Amino acid sequence: MADSLNGNRSILVVGGGMSGLSAALEAAEAGSQVYLVEKEPYLGGRVARMNQYFPKLCPPNCGLEINFRRIKGNPLIRFFTMAEVEKIEGQAGNFDVVIKTRPRYINEKCTGCGLCASAAETEISNVFNYGLDKVKAAYLPHEFAFPMRYVLAPEVIGTPEAEKIKAACPYDAIDTAMQPEQFDLKVGAIIWATGWEPYAAEKIIYYGGGKHKNVISNVMMERLAAFNGPTGGKITRPSDGGEVQKIAFIQCAGSRDENHLPYCSGICCLASLKQSTYLLEQNPQASVSIYYIDIRALGKYEDFYMKVQADERVTLIKGKAGEITEDPATGMVTVQVEDQATGKILKEQYDLVVLATGMVPSSASGKVPADVSYDDNGFILSTQPTAGIIGAGCVKRPVDVSSSVQDATAAALKAIQATCRR
Amino acid sequence: MEPKAVSMEMRDYIASMGGESLSWCMQCGLCTNLCPWRLVPGSTSENFNIRYMQRLGQMGMEGFEDEEVLFACSTCSMCQTNCPRGVKIVDNVRAMRASLVGAGMAPAGLRPILGSAHANGNPWAGPREKRTDWQKGLDVPQFGPDTEYFLFVCCHSCYDPRSTKIAKSITQLLKHAGVSFGVIGAEESCCGESMRKVGDEELFTKLAQSNIELFNSKGVKKIITTSPHCLWTFKNEYPELGGEWEVIHYTELLAGLVAVGKLSFPKGLEKKVAYHDPCYLGRHSGIYDLPRNLLSSLPGVEPREMQRRAEMSLCCAGGGGRIWAEAAMGERFGELRIHDALAQGAEVLTTACPYCVNMLTDACKSLDKQDDLEITELSELLAAALP
Repeated sequence: MADSLNGNRSILVVGGGMSGLSAALEAAEAGSQVYLVEKEPYLGGRVARMNQYFPKLCPPNCGLEINFRRIKGNPLIRFFTMAEVEKIEGQAGNFDVVIKTRPRYINEKCTGCGLCASAAETEISNVFNYGLDKVKAAYLPHEFAFPMRYVLAPEVIGTPEAEKIKAACPYDAIDTAMQPEQFDLKVGAIIWATGWEPYAAEKIIYYGGGKHKNVISNVMMERLAAFNGPTGGKITRPSDGGEVQKIAFIQCAGSRDENHLPYCSGICCLASLKQSTYLLEQNPQASVSIYYIDIRALGKYEDFYMKVQADERVTLIKGKAGEITEDPATGMVTVQVEDQATGKILKEQYDLVVLATGMVPSSASGKVPADVSYDDNGFILSTQPTAGIIGAGCVKRPVDVSSSVQDATAAALKAIQATCRR
Repeated sequence: MEPKAVSMEMRDYIASMGGESLSWCMQCGLCTNLCPWRLVPGSTSENFNIRYMQRLGQMGMEGFEDEEVLFACSTCSMCQTNCPRGVKIVDNVRAMRASLVGAGMAPAGLRPILGSAHANGNPWAGPREKRTDWQKGLDVPQFGPDTEYFLFVCCHSCYDPRSTKIAKSITQLLKHAGVSFGVIGAEESCCGESMRKVGDEELFTKLAQSNIELFNSKGVKKIITTSPHCLWTFKNEYPELGGEWEVIHYTELLAGLVAVGKLSFPKGLEKKVAYHDPCYLGRHSGIYDLPRNLLSSLPGVEPREMQRRAEMSLCCAGGGGRIWAEAAMGERFGELRIHDALAQGAEVLTTACPYCVNMLTDACKSLDKQDDLEITELSELLAAALP
């Protein structure tokens, strides 16, 4: 600990989602030098891919916009996109960190004009929309991307197409010779906020996720409802773009299940209740079925639950859905369930089924390259063997956005303490 | 509605018979919905609800003892494998059956079966001395002190005329591959797997002890089984009674020999073949790929996968004592398998379990599809392709 007195006072924040952004800003606004490292080509993480927050049903963009402005206005924050932590050595007050970046092939001269995308022909899966549509190989990650800079997909590098795209750029922003880079940072504390990944729905074989076209996951539903999503915000059936009249939500899809995620992610019930309102807002004639084991709307969220429950177009059925089958001719999907209130086995047909899948901490697969402790499910523990490495947000436990912000603020304080504790 | 009485005594009794995990159930109903009975119409499908049956067991309440309910489960493990709470549903079914069968109240249809197993050491009413009749003209080696593997042939393949072909094919394959193996013979008894599943604990213990004593006295160290049912009980139930050997299914051994080039099938088979996963080889024992590897090692074969395959495979309905049950036409799971195999364009439906062969053959006949689809055991296809 003595070292930290004379050690480095700067802080590294890993992950540019809501937790990482919050932690970086709180620490920088308290006077610390902050480096923010993000794997994707844009900041904002999963939140940038949400349509609306519960329970207020407001879009996440205003909050993100405010955070981006705070970053732009604060000289103490430096951020790196398409970057990941390769190596960590040292201790609190004196960490040596190696950062590795992937080539974006487009430099800071980019104005976001989009001429490169017009010149591109190859299409790649749109990761931002969870593969629901495609983008050109020269693409802006999303309309609201920060930084507002295009990306050239590695798929076209070395092809004549890349040269054609390069020629289309009037600003000399395309650099196909860009290479992966590595650089060192010396920091006093590290906040690990790499967030979460949706549980892979296709692992629940009996639900047919990834197999039946009109069975999607809840994160895909956010994209379907978002104005900047693949359908411009119109919730339609992925099989044929048809109207959604009947929708079902399957709660605990792979959650509270020893064969999948044994824990409750705590947000999926609220997410489905919220997503019910997306459809009913668009199509007042639609009907919603929510199949659940228990509805977990804790604390103040009870009011939101009661409000949605009171809508007569919404039916809540207690019972864990069994097999979901598809009629290949019509694309209709049938949910079979035992209604625990009546003991009757129901078979209902829907246009669209949304699997309410839970959150997997990114730290379950992407480990911190340092001595860090995790629980059985890969969540980072609150108390760590290496002082000065602090988890924040969904890598610690599954939480909603506002809880992430609170946890990140607490992490910022702990990081500041780690750099100047005496 | 009639008031229902909770019986703590009954509840504790079922738990003591092996149904401890009944209390873990959270009544979500996934089991009932993944149950193969949901795929067929009829009275059993309407009356048998595994979640509800377990609920009755959990509370020690009357209603589960009705034969159509208590003996409907084929112990396929579709529910157990997917249960979010890891409830040992098959053990619970067994324990609930044992609470009745142990008190001498076995269903009428099962009594002659259990009686034969008691008297003859096999459930097929075959005299003990005829256990080795299938070996005639085959020169099957006798297990001795220098033999590596003891080949345990399922009673079904010792006595059932159709099924003896499986025992013969496996013997032929092992001999061709130069495996050191032998049989013991008439002193062998039924493994007892299905006897225990129908709730006859006493009979199972008797059969198991007789086998353990016999195998150990002969110096058995490694066992090859022809049936996945024998495999499962030897591996999972015999050790606690003192029977501890290295046990493998014949498909495991042969797949290993093919992989190292010690066995091949030059004649091949120019057919489209679908493989049906037996529940006790698949979900219960986790073996999905090896039989498929064997099938693909036949030159010329065009493997076809059915809709419900591997972990999600549909039961033939022959497990848990259901091989002795009568299901009406139109209510047999096997019929769905026949339709599935035909829908995939298969000309041959093969599997690796004598019970499955039995059930699928019946289903194929009842649908009058014998001319379109041939039901075989994998060893038969392999043996026919030997040089």
